[in-house]
Order: sequence, then C-alpha cells, then structure tokens
Amino acid sequence: MNILEIKNLVKDFGGLRAVDTLSLSIEEGQILGLIGPNGAGKSTAFNCIAGVYPPTGGDIYFAGEKINRSKPWNLCKKGLARTFQIVKPFSSKSVLYNVMVGSFVTTDKTSVAKEKALNVLRLLQFEDKKDERAGNLTIAERKRLEIARALATEPKLLLFDEVMAGLRPAEVDEMVQIIQNLRHQGITIFVIEHIMRAIMALSDRIVVIHFGKKIAEGSPQEVASDENVIKAYLGDEYVVS
Amino acid sequence: MTRQNINRFALILVGVVAFGLPLVLRSPTYLHILILLYLYAYLTSSWNLVGGFAGVLPLGHSAFIGIGAYASTILSLQYGISPWIGMIVGGILAAIVGILIGFPTFKMRGAYFALATIAFGEGIRVMVENVDNLGPLKINGPRGLQIPPTNIGFGNYMFAGKEPYYYIILVMLLGILAITYFISRSKLGYYLNAGGEEPEAAMALGVNVARAKLIAMAMSSFFTALAGTFYAQFTLYIHPKSVISLDFSFEIAFIALIGGRGSIAGPVLGALLLRPVSDFSRIYFGSTLPGLHLIIFGTVLILVMIFQPRGLQEPLTRAYNRLLDKIFGGTEQKEITHEYS
Ligand SMILES: Nc1ncnc2c1ncn2[C@@H]1O[C@H](COP(=O)(O)OP(=O)(O)OP(=O)(O)O)[C@@H](O)[C@H]1O
Ligand SMILES: [Mg+2]
Repeated sequence: MNILEIKNLVKDFGGLRAVDTLSLSIEEGQILGLIGPNGAGKSTAFNCIAGVYPPTGGDIYFAGEKINRSKPWNLCKKGLARTFQIVKPFSSKSVLYNVMVGSFVTTDKTSVAKEKALNVLRLLQFEDKKDERAGNLTIAERKRLEIARALATEPKLLLFDEVMAGLRPAEVDEMVQIIQNLRHQGITIFVIEHIMRAIMALSDRIVVIHFGKKIAEGSPQEVASDENVIKAYLGDEYVVS
Repeated sequence: MTRQNINRFALILVGVVAFGLPLVLRSPTYLHILILLYLYAYLTSSWNLVGGFAGVLPLGHSAFIGIGAYASTILSLQYGISPWIGMIVGGILAAIVGILIGFPTFKMRGAYFALATIAFGEGIRVMVENVDNLGPLKINGPRGLQIPPTNIGFGNYMFAGKEPYYYIILVMLLGILAITYFISRSKLGYYLNAGGEEPEAAMALGVNVARAKLIAMAMSSFFTALAGTFYAQFTLYIHPKSVISLDFSFEIAFIALIGGRGSIAGPVLGALLLRPVSDFSRIYFGSTLPGLHLIIFGTVLILVMIFQPRGLQEPLTRAYNRLLDKIFGGTEQKEITHEYS
C-alpha cells in the first residue's frame, strides 16, 4: 500500500512556481530519497505535505486519506512527522523537555511522556545529553534532536529535510545507521539530502526534481546514470559523452 | 536532612511567616502595603499564564480587573448578590472576553500583539467612562461606583479591619502559585512553552498553538478578574481610571519582566522588589515627583534586560542552589532549573 501519494502537486509563491505538477508515491516501509539542486522545491514539497503551505493545485493522500488542507498538528497526530532543514529547537529548554513535547501527542500524562521521551533518547544514543540546554548543542546534536522530537510522536511516516547537512563524515555514517534502524522498526521514511553517498546508501528509490518538476525517478543506480540528472546538477555544457 | 527536605522546609517557613505576619505587624499602613504587594504578585502570576508561558506580551490585563470589579459590584449593589458569586460571574465574563480578544490577536507577533491588547484595554476603559447605564445596569460613567460599608461580614466580602483582606489575598496568591506550578508541569505547560518559543516546530510536533494560547488566555483572564472583585471590596470604590487603568497593566508587565516571566517565583520576586519602590515613592514623592516609580522601574528594567534577560529569578535561583551545594558539598545532583523555569 502507498502510505503517501502525491498527484500533480503545484505550489506557487506569487509568480514563482516552486513545485510544478509533481507526482510521486511511497510504499509503506520504504525509504524514498528526494534530491535536486538548491532551490529545486524540495523543502516546499515537504511543507505542502506536512500542512505548512496549502497546495496551489493537486492532491496529497496520506494512508489513503486526502490531506490537502489539514493542519500540521492534526497530521502529526495521524502519524506524519517531519524535521526542519533549519533546525528549530526550543532553545531555552533541555533536550528532554524538547523531546517530551513530541511525546505528548500520544499521552496526556507528564510521567508517561517523560518515559517515552527517555526511550527515544536511549534509542538515538542521546541520553547523556538529556539535561543539556538545547541552545547549547552542536549542529550535529541539534539535527539529532530534530529527529528525536519527530520520533517521539510515534510516526508512521517521517519526513527528513537534510538531517545530515553540516555533519562530519563519521557523523553522516552514524546518521545513515540511525535511519536504517528506524526503517527496520517499520517506519516509512521520505528523505531530502544533498550528501550523495548517504542518499545512495539509504534509498530504495530516488526522485529527482529540478525547478519544481520531476526529471527522473528510479533506483539509486538508475538515477545516478540518468543524463537529465547529470545535466541538472552540472549544467548543460557538461554533457556526458 | 536532604536537599528536598530543605526546600520543603524553606517553603513551609515562608508560609508560616506569611500567615503569622498580621499577628506581629499591627500597623494598618504596613498591612495595606503588604496586601497590595500580594495583590500584584497574584495579578502578575495570573498574567504569567499567558504572558510568561505562552511567550506573548499582553498589556491590557486591566480590562479583566475592571470586568471583575464591575461585575461583582453591580450584582451586589443592584441585585443584592454576594460578591463571592459576583466574583465567579466576573471571572467567567472575563474569560469569554479574553478568548474574544485572543482570537484575532494571537496571530500577531511581538509588538503588534502588545499594542493590540493595549488598544483593547484602553477601549474598554473609554467605553465604561462614557456609559452611565447599560440596559438595566447602572455603570455611572467616569464617576464610578461606591460600595457603602454597611453590611460587614464574610458573606458580603466586607470587613472592618485589614486582616481578613490580608488572608484572602494571601490564600488567592498561594492558590494561583499552586495552579501555575501544576500547569508548568502539565501537557498544557509544555505546549504553551513550545508554542511560545518556536511555533512552527511546536505545530509540527502536534501542538495546536492557537488553541493552547486561548486556553491560557481564558484562565489568565478568569483569575485576573477575581482580583478585580478583591480590589473593589478592599477599596469600596471603583471607577474606570482606578480599575481599568494602563498603570495596572504596565506595572504587572514590569513586575513580570524584572522578576522573570515564565517562572513560578518570578512574579513574587518582582512584586517583592518593585512594590516597595512604588509605595515609598508615592508616599514620599507623590506630590513632588508623581511619576518617579515608573522612571525607576524603567531604569531597573533596562538594567535587568541587559544583564539578566530572563529576569532576576534566574541568578537568585542559581545563588540559592549554590548555597545548598555548599551545605551538601555538591554531592547531590543539581536541579535542572531550565527544564521547567
Ligand atoms: N515562503 C516562501 N516564499 C517565497 N518563496 C519561497 C518560499 N519558500 C521557498 N521559496 C522559493 O521556492 C523555491 C524552492 O525553495 P525550496 O526551499 O523548496 O528549495 P530546496 O529544494 O529545498 O532548496 P535547498 O536545497 O537549498 O534547501 C526557491 O526559489 C525559494 O526561493
Ligand atoms: Mg530545502
């Protein structure tokens, strides 16, 4: 079954068409990668799916239900969680506090929320930082906090927007490992990433967009050798011979 | 003795002193000053539910004081209803008005929200000043309403001495502090803090930020209005400039910002520090320099914002913890102050 299905999604910002008749779908339990040059419209597509922007056109289905005009918090309660490319921690609060905000989706009790949040932190090997002020974390830790908070909402589908940007190679490997673990727990993952090594290793399939339009789709190998993709990334003059 | 016991002991000590003070302190002037101090600590704690936890800066809370004061006073003067019941009616009325004000304004950011709430507060004052009768209700415009001190007794919320008022406002203060404590540790508290700090992230984590803020606003308005009834019964004379004045709204915000908004102790600390300044500048310079306390507040606020942007509760909490560290040799785990405060 397709947990997420997008049909002809369009998003305009004034005169700018950031996402252009984009269609794609993700099967339950899979990892789908979304790549494209800077400004291609990847984050905008995520924001439409997560309910931040109402789409200008097209339809979005989550677990078979049309969610075009759903609010972000309702989508989250239904099992759709996301991280932000520009991390947004609750800076004055502890790591544990941050994660507990997510845990409260599935409980009203503070003690239960705390227990659930601690479990998530343990899973992400982040427990030692639980009392740290979120504002004092390093960039790698902030990315991890984004994931921890999203995970605490107990999602079925996770949207990761560049959770590896700014990480050192060793940290990237660790993050790849974490995402693979999440998939093995049955969570479907839709991931935007610029680090090719990571996205190639992770994705079952990859969708490539350029100026908001889909220009290629397929397995990592197919996409990597696609002529349109190479052109989009390197420019027209670098045509492969 | 463990650390937790020390904290409990300190709290009990403060409570005993507060309840015992009127037995030692016989001067009505000092009791009056203390009553106002508690009143402001109570008002600021009520304000804190939305101004502290929800991260906005409401500057029109005097409107709710006015609603509480007028509701209970009109009901008791014209219909003979006990102010205790009128107090609840005023609270509910204020909660409804609070939601109506919050609905359009919570989408505004920063200064715009503050300005909009000032406008609402002032708008309500001007309206009351210009209305003598609202249907069957006698409001009496700028002249206000006088409560004749004829029916003294608990049921009528009216007493001859100051002591009963002292104990009523003290109990109210302890009540609001307990409520604040529980909210700050509840789901609502987490949601308010999250929504105030990073609304987009909060929404993505399942928080209906607008709804949480409206709930906080309704509670804040309700509790603020209860203080309006107290003020009316304490002074026995209300008029628009006394109960719906910007002075009230501003002094509450000053106390909160200087003491530390969003913390439980902040409003009490702020009131402890600022109320004496207010009172003494009014007593000694009231005729020569009537606005002196506001100038002092402004100066203190600037200094606090530069050196302790999270209010004076933060360094004081730290100093207190360090003191306990010294006593216990720092063996026990440090309390994480930023988790809740
Ligand atoms: N809120 C907005 N208002 C106006 N224009 C926007 C807005 N958000 C994005 N855009 C524009 O839409 C286009 C797509 O932006 P988007 O952030 O989706 O790209 P992206 O693929 O995520 O890029 P990157 O890899 O740099 O993160 C860009 O031209 C951007 O300037
Ligand atoms: Mg992006």
